Amino acid sequence: MAYRTNLMLCTCTMCVSVGALKIKRKIEEEIKRHNLEDEIQIIPVGSSWLCTRGPTLIVQPDDVVYQFLKEDDIPHLVEEHLLKGRPVKSLMYIHPETLHPIEKLHQIPFYRQQRLITLRNRGMIDPDKIEECIARDGYKALAKVLKSMTPEEVIQEIKDSGLRGRGGAGFPTGRKWEVCRAVKGSPKYVVCNADEGDPGAFMDRSIIEADPHAVLEGMAIGAYAIGASEGYIYIRIEYPLAIKRLERAILEARDYGLLGENILGAGFSFEAHVFKGAGAFVCGEETSLLASIESKPPEPRTRPPYPAQSGLWEKPTNINNVETWANVAAIINQGAKWFSEIGTETSKGTKVFSLAGNINNAGLVEVPMGITLREMVYDIGGGIPNGKKFKAVQIGGPSGGVVPDSLLDLPIDYERLQEAGAIMGSGGMVVVDEDTCMVDFAKYFLIFTNDESCGKCTSCREGSAAMLEILTRITEGKGEEGDIEFLEELGEAVKEASQCGLGQTLSNPVLSALMHFRDEFEAHIKYKKCPAFVCKDLITYSIDPDKCTGCGLCLKQCPADAITGKLKKPHQIDDSNCIKCGVCRDSCKAKAVILKDRFDK
Amino acid sequence: MEEKIRGSVLVVGGGIAGIQAALDLADSGFKVYLAEKGPSIGGVMAQLDKTFPTNDCAMCILAPKLVSTGRHPNIKLITNAEIEELTGKAGNFTVSVKKNPRYVDESKCTGCGLCVENCPVRKAIYPVEKVEVKLGPQDLERMKKIITEYKNKEGALLPALHDINIGYSYLPENILRYISEELDLPLSLVYQIATFYNAFSLKPKGKYTINVCMGTACYVKGGNRIVESFERALGIKVGNTTEDLMFGLETISCFGCCGQAPVVVVNEDLYGHFRATKVPQLIKSYSETPKKAGMEVGNAEVKG
Repeated sequence: MAYRTNLMLCTCTMCVSVGALKIKRKIEEEIKRHNLEDEIQIIPVGSSWLCTRGPTLIVQPDDVVYQFLKEDDIPHLVEEHLLKGRPVKSLMYIHPETLHPIEKLHQIPFYRQQRLITLRNRGMIDPDKIEECIARDGYKALAKVLKSMTPEEVIQEIKDSGLRGRGGAGFPTGRKWEVCRAVKGSPKYVVCNADEGDPGAFMDRSIIEADPHAVLEGMAIGAYAIGASEGYIYIRIEYPLAIKRLERAILEARDYGLLGENILGAGFSFEAHVFKGAGAFVCGEETSLLASIESKPPEPRTRPPYPAQSGLWEKPTNINNVETWANVAAIINQGAKWFSEIGTETSKGTKVFSLAGNINNAGLVEVPMGITLREMVYDIGGGIPNGKKFKAVQIGGPSGGVVPDSLLDLPIDYERLQEAGAIMGSGGMVVVDEDTCMVDFAKYFLIFTNDESCGKCTSCREGSAAMLEILTRITEGKGEEGDIEFLEELGEAVKEASQCGLGQTLSNPVLSALMHFRDEFEAHIKYKKCPAFVCKDLITYSIDPDKCTGCGLCLKQCPADAITGKLKKPHQIDDSNCIKCGVCRDSCKAKAVILKDRFDK
Repeated sequence: MEEKIRGSVLVVGGGIAGIQAALDLADSGFKVYLAEKGPSIGGVMAQLDKTFPTNDCAMCILAPKLVSTGRHPNIKLITNAEIEELTGKAGNFTVSVKKNPRYVDESKCTGCGLCVENCPVRKAIYPVEKVEVKLGPQDLERMKKIITEYKNKEGALLPALHDINIGYSYLPENILRYISEELDLPLSLVYQIATFYNAFSLKPKGKYTINVCMGTACYVKGGNRIVESFERALGIKVGNTTEDLMFGLETISCFGCCGQAPVVVVNEDLYGHFRATKVPQLIKSYSETPKKAGMEVGNAEVKG
């Protein structure tokens, strides 16, 4: 049946968390009330739009987008737009500068510069219905490969495309496949790494939630190319919705004969299994991931032998990241030449980033390689909220580093990012504003890596603890002359002596912060000052008597009884009782609570 | 030293330190007795893979020293031995050493290991105290399903633990012992896996587990202040459960919901754009109406 209007309602984890399913029920009710069931259908899609502005709804073919939907808005919306054909301006995206509502999805700056390859079906299909995926060329590449290409041709095509591993290290995918194909041994395995442990990254979750079949199709093609017939998708247990969609996708594909025995009658069989991780960052490392699937203690081992030679159950295994697999079908469909024309000299194609942190338009972004960070932050991201000043972009999570203001014109590309002290990583991009203390930020990453270190290599286990101790001391105002140099020395030693990626990169956040924000470390050590007013031991809270209206809100909220004052008279904070929780500052409407340096020199 | 070297030295403990001490002393001319409690020298280093900070192979350092110690004319190895008495003073000690019987003629044994392999009561060398695992009928019923699904399968432990965790919301000790017996896996391995991952707990969890996201995006938007607020409001530290087993407080590295940062998840309900000032309200909503818990602001329906 043909519908005149399709309502693409985002039902990713984030939108669901803010009530997308309630909105869905309400819209259904309203459509029924107006007897529009035969004309309008709701399609639940995955990660369609700006994640901070959920729940979001895109009305097709009008190309109109609505944001921040509430149940109460629905009757009005259905009546005005769907019945009378008048889009509701008050629910649209407001341009941050002109303050005019923007009606069409593709006119919104966040969308304009994106180029969707990996996320080609984002917001266009119901991920739980394979038919919709097939209608948009899903599994066409698999058919093409099985009917008309030899495994060698497939590998050559991927090699020619210049596709590099999207998991972080950027190893050429075609070469990886070639090595695995050449190794003798049977059976062979393909593995999809969906153990997206980097804090601040949600690309893999979103790709799977939006289009699980893209991953499955890519894996099937890869399996054909290297000669495997079984695959595992190792996914984080923290992503229940993605797991559900993936499991359903596998069942549906099996029903259609697109997975399983003798696919499309071409004599090729491929079976995919979902394997749930259990919350260990180190399992993102390939050898550790394989050990985890084997139910062995998930500690990384030395390479060589590489997984391509001896991987899962000591058989040749090819591991790629979710995003890498999702690119494969597009390359086969449209050709290596088309793909290699996108991007820069060394980095081809597009990259999905999860833009988050102190930024107006946080969300999932797919851009061609080579785009500058400035475009990412200001054009796509829409700048920093609340008029704050931009400070840095953190790229690559706990393995990456910070990129300061001065390097914003850096094009995004594996090599250039490395030169700047960061890494491409899996694509987590967290923007921080002037209220973030870089010492504290570096400490945050070390707390994480110290906690997640599996403990096998002493350098990583003890090295991270030692660095954390120094950083903690610095943030407490007990930093000493020579600490910075020692941190650098220790950081390099940990890098060299550790076995796996976790240990080899854990000092990056500290080293890059030292590279670009050395003055902040020095301010902490020499002058006992925290320029961003974050480190509790170096700041004091006080109330500006000129601004305080004496409303008493802070007094009521203070958990430490550190505030005194009479109603309608300026209040005061007793520094000896204050625990610096910041509740008073949050609750003050007059912005009278101010931060000062504790040791004013 | 002009004087002629006299006397002999007893080194107690045949670990790497003892071995090195014995070798140095023996090389400088002393007669050395190296006493070791265990049946062989080498100690902990023989069990290590790599050494800090250079990541050198432990065995590559140790093995030549073991051989030199064994062959050194000045070193007498006394293994399987314990010091019983020590008298005298510096320069003139008398030590009595009790050497436990080995029941093997050391002068003839080549250490080929064949007897170990062929001994029918081999396990009796390290007697393991057998713990009888008794499960109630309800537990047995649950376990039966899991055992039949995973028995004799490779790589079954982690999925089995997931299933147990779903059923009990933690990993009870007697169940782990039972699984170890039934799946024929060493209890040490079960324990190692069960404690390695963040998703498992060996202690019962509260009715509601409050997970505060500490992903990067949540952190820069004040995640740690939310944690502190919960700690104050519940009177417990992260990783603990309130006494009435209502609330457990935990942090998680990232839920992948960075667009909604900062994020708090209670059991399966996700709250985005959370603020520290909302903490009391959230706790109240769960403790007061147990049937219809959850807040109206940003309510979640993510179910697994």
